[in-house]
Amino acid sequence: MNNQSKKKKSAYTVGARQKAFPWVVPFASVRLTLTLLSLSMILIFVATLEQVRIGIRGAQAEYFESFYGIWYYPEQFWGGSFLSVVPLPIPGGYLLGGLLIINLIAAFVTRFQWSGKKIGIQIIHLGIILLLIGQMTTQAIQVESRMQINKGESSDYIERFHGVELALTDVTDANRSKVVSIPEELLKPGSTLRVPGFPFKVRVKAFGPNCSFDFKESAAQRSKITMDVNRGIGASANLSLSPRDEDYSNDAANFGYLVFQLVNGSEELGTWLAVAHPAGNDRWKFVHTKLEGMAFQPLRHEGRLWGVELRSIREYLPYSIELLKIENEFYQGTDIPHNFESHVNLNLESGQKRKALVYMNTPLRHGGKTFYQYQMNKAADYTVFQVIRNPSWLVPYIACILLSVGLLWQFSFHLINFLRKQSKVSA
Amino acid sequence: MKFLKRYPLIPSAFFAVGLYLAILPFGTTKASLLDFVKPEPAPNAEIIDLEAFSRIPVLRGGRVKPLDSVARNTLLVLRNKRTALDQNGTKIPAISWLANVLLNPEEADRLKTFVIDHDQVLGLLNRKLVRDGKYYSYNELKPFLEEIDKSARDSGKLEREKQDSFDQNIIDLYRSVLLYRKLKHTLSPPAPPPGTKMTEDLDLVTFFFDSARDKDRTDEYSRFRSITDAISQDPSTIRIGSDAFAKVVFLLDHYSRSNLWSEFFPVPPELGDQKKRWRKVGESLVGEEPLDSEQKRNLDPTQFASLLQDLVRTERGPLLERVNFILTKEKLNPTALFAAQYAEAIKLRTGIDPILSLYEKLRQAYVANDPTGFNEAVSLIRELCEKRAPDQVTKIGFEKTFNEYEPFYRSSVAYIIIFLSSCLSWFCLTINTPKFNAQHSKSFKNVAYHLTLIILIAHTFGLLGRMYIEGRPPVTNLYSSALFIGWGAVLLCWFTEKYVRLGIASSMGAMVGFGSLVIAHNLSLDSSLNPTGDTMEMMRAVLDSNFWLATHVVTVTIGYSTTFLAGFLGLAYIFYYFIHQVLVSDNSDNKLSTLLSSSRKQLEKTLGSMIFGITCFSLFFSLVGTVLGGIWADQSWGRFWGWDAKENGALLIVIWNAIILHARWAGIAKIRGIACLAIFGNVVTAWSWFGTNMLGVGLHSYGFMDKAFNPLMSFIVSQMVFICVAYMVTPICLLFRKKQPFLK
Repeated sequence: MNNQSKKKKSAYTVGARQKAFPWVVPFASVRLTLTLLSLSMILIFVATLEQVRIGIRGAQAEYFESFYGIWYYPEQFWGGSFLSVVPLPIPGGYLLGGLLIINLIAAFVTRFQWSGKKIGIQIIHLGIILLLIGQMTTQAIQVESRMQINKGESSDYIERFHGVELALTDVTDANRSKVVSIPEELLKPGSTLRVPGFPFKVRVKAFGPNCSFDFKESAAQRSKITMDVNRGIGASANLSLSPRDEDYSNDAANFGYLVFQLVNGSEELGTWLAVAHPAGNDRWKFVHTKLEGMAFQPLRHEGRLWGVELRSIREYLPYSIELLKIENEFYQGTDIPHNFESHVNLNLESGQKRKALVYMNTPLRHGGKTFYQYQMNKAADYTVFQVIRNPSWLVPYIACILLSVGLLWQFSFHLINFLRKQSKVSA
Repeated sequence: MKFLKRYPLIPSAFFAVGLYLAILPFGTTKASLLDFVKPEPAPNAEIIDLEAFSRIPVLRGGRVKPLDSVARNTLLVLRNKRTALDQNGTKIPAISWLANVLLNPEEADRLKTFVIDHDQVLGLLNRKLVRDGKYYSYNELKPFLEEIDKSARDSGKLEREKQDSFDQNIIDLYRSVLLYRKLKHTLSPPAPPPGTKMTEDLDLVTFFFDSARDKDRTDEYSRFRSITDAISQDPSTIRIGSDAFAKVVFLLDHYSRSNLWSEFFPVPPELGDQKKRWRKVGESLVGEEPLDSEQKRNLDPTQFASLLQDLVRTERGPLLERVNFILTKEKLNPTALFAAQYAEAIKLRTGIDPILSLYEKLRQAYVANDPTGFNEAVSLIRELCEKRAPDQVTKIGFEKTFNEYEPFYRSSVAYIIIFLSSCLSWFCLTINTPKFNAQHSKSFKNVAYHLTLIILIAHTFGLLGRMYIEGRPPVTNLYSSALFIGWGAVLLCWFTEKYVRLGIASSMGAMVGFGSLVIAHNLSLDSSLNPTGDTMEMMRAVLDSNFWLATHVVTVTIGYSTTFLAGFLGLAYIFYYFIHQVLVSDNSDNKLSTLLSSSRKQLEKTLGSMIFGITCFSLFFSLVGTVLGGIWADQSWGRFWGWDAKENGALLIVIWNAIILHARWAGIAKIRGIACLAIFGNVVTAWSWFGTNMLGVGLHSYGFMDKAFNPLMSFIVSQMVFICVAYMVTPICLLFRKKQPFLK
């Protein structure tokens, strides 16, 4: 009996496991761990420095959400005039994260002792695997949007921070409008799109994530891409656009633009232009009165009326949020904000009404989405929520518990041993 | 007796000095620990009692604090010290300086209040650092005010990155002058320059306070009230073109603008004020401006006059309701908003707040050197504040004593004694003469150990005192993180020393403690981090969560603290290793080298396990703290991890600690390697603590600062030098040893 149980146990020893999976052994090496960790330090350090140049989102896209990034030593640093020419490849977040996961799993298989004494180590590393996987999935599936509500009004849609869509709204029936939207992935210059329920085809002539614009005297003075625009605001205001790179910085304002032609069979109806305001197209009136109509460029055909606009990608919710009141307080005699809060009503589909208070560190969670107090304008009486959908939000919490338990277990083990030894020595 | 037998004279003396430093008053630190439990000293009727004066509560920087704190904090900004100097260079306590500034400005203008230590800025004033020193009075700056103003404006136009040290210094000086002038005018709104056309046209030449005619400023305030009362009784005079109306508009504008020239809020909340707002002198007379004064340009004058007339005609009760309605519902209408303020000033604010007359009495008594009048006014002001803001003045006395106890200053001095004591213990062990032997060495070590505990009490009391005053967890800004890092390291050292009595943990703890307190002091001087000079400023709404401050921030800061400690123990090892290698390579047969060689194995083992153990702590705290930070971010912004600069810094510390531990477990690094890795941990932590704040990006950039760039770089270079020394000392010594026979 005794012998048997020993035999059984022996199958789980490190040696036996290494024999069973010899090809896993090299992946489990500590040296590999150390190399990966050192490379991660370089990655994080470089990506942090790069935030100054390209902003957090830029650094995230270039380094953390990629397999490798190319870094040039900053010119303004010491010796920068020579060193800044050399392109340096930096291993990216997906590469290092993926390899670390492999390394950790391999270590579970062939290196860790499966014993109660070492259970702390296993729990810690399990927590780390979870953290890595959690972060990678979050980066892949988390969606960030915003919701703006004016006081006394309610809103039932959220808008993405990044990305635009072409929306064609049929408002012929004043009570029921029908919207068809074309996501930006389809808006490739040169392509012609057929839209269900819309009598025309849309031919994309120019599209970009950001632009600058100004008014000209005549069509001839406009930039090349806007030269042909002969309908809508683009024509009436003589608007000239020049494309710009997308701005990745934190306070970026990207004005996406689209120049398109409508085609009815072989007949060309004209060329339109649409620009999306990053804070919502109802902001255009504050930019210039001539641009107010950017939110709704009318299009009439055979007794029907459509409104055309390029806007931030919208998602409609089955419920709506009504803003009752906002409060924005500062500490007296300082410009340090003390409190921002929005009093809202959550109007559910079922007709149920719930009062809620959204303020710093206390978001509103509903239907898998979380609404955070983001911006507020006391004078104009509106509030902006940041809206997040992140189905994997629970993973870091579990990982955190695992890590704490494992670390506590392991280190108290060490500490008690150390103290015991010391008291023996001093005795 | 037993104590004296066990402890020889010199170590005992060290102990006594340390104990004294921790508890009793010395130098400019006037309070002892006992003063916290003693009641406030009875006022001395014979002299002008500034002690009681210093306890008058006022609101500055969003917090109610004693005048004593206002005095110390502003002097810290103006002169980088908590005292001023008179013409002869004698130190003047902060509170008597402030009494002069507030009550007797002519005298204050003669005191040396400003620090200017930049050659070029001094050049602008025709001064030389070596000849004229670096402290100047307002009178000395007066002839150059225009030039300072112009240069500062030019410098201010540059982008921050392009400003050089002159630009920053001149801007600092400009701000200092502004702060001083605001302080001077806080209790005495400046009158418009005499002889202007406006005052003559409106027949206001004799309106403003004139010391020859008037008893005090309350006479001016009464004249103002009689003008508003007249218009309130006859609202029909409120129309464009009426003299009475023009007068009121001019004066209201004048008092509203005087609020900009006020540094703090001396008037406690009026009884019945729901929001418990403190007021400036001008606000007490005419109320708060609803919008920036600039917006007055957008008024519609006719509409304004008719609305104001209509409001003033309303009875007081309904008027209050209408004013509140306008303030909440017509926020985009400047005409209505200003009409509401003017109506409030004319009809709702009647009489003069008694606190204003009391401050005037205080001023007269101070200038006339009349102790009875002064002390009476002080006690009346304090009584009134207590009556009107009973729950806001409870901590005033504590804060005053806390200021005088200066726990961090005294701790930093005492840490030097601990360090010296540990060094002496090794010195005794080395020379081993009858007078200084192993017995002495042991006593010095014990003194260092016991002193650490005693100083920790003072340091801890300092942290607790701040927590009590602020009502916050210990770490709220960069300054307090420095205090806490030092405290954490010293505490851990004390525990380590308890078990491993080598004097190493004591000395390194004292070094980290002293260093972090010096850093904290320098942070408190940084005008960009600390514009009001108050290290207990209010928290931004985003950070305003005591739960997360107490968990995430404290844990991460302990992580910093322990990582630094491991690094300093690494430094201690490399120091020992260096001496050992040099002596051993010398082949000399002296006492020290035998001693070092004989103890080498044991010491390496002990130090190795100390570094290892503390790194375990570091990993635990930095990892848990970083993850908690992620959870806070998830709760507040909806993302667990945003690759923010400060977050990345914390992650670097976690990874680095993991690298150290894995390198040791895998046997890749031995004691020297571990020590060097731990030293590099100092670099990583310093980057995370300060470097990330210099980038000026991300959510945590609330502590943005760039003055620390050079110190940070020097620290990093010094750590790299130590690492190089660790690896170069043996080859270099070998090189020299080979040469020796040749030389002989």
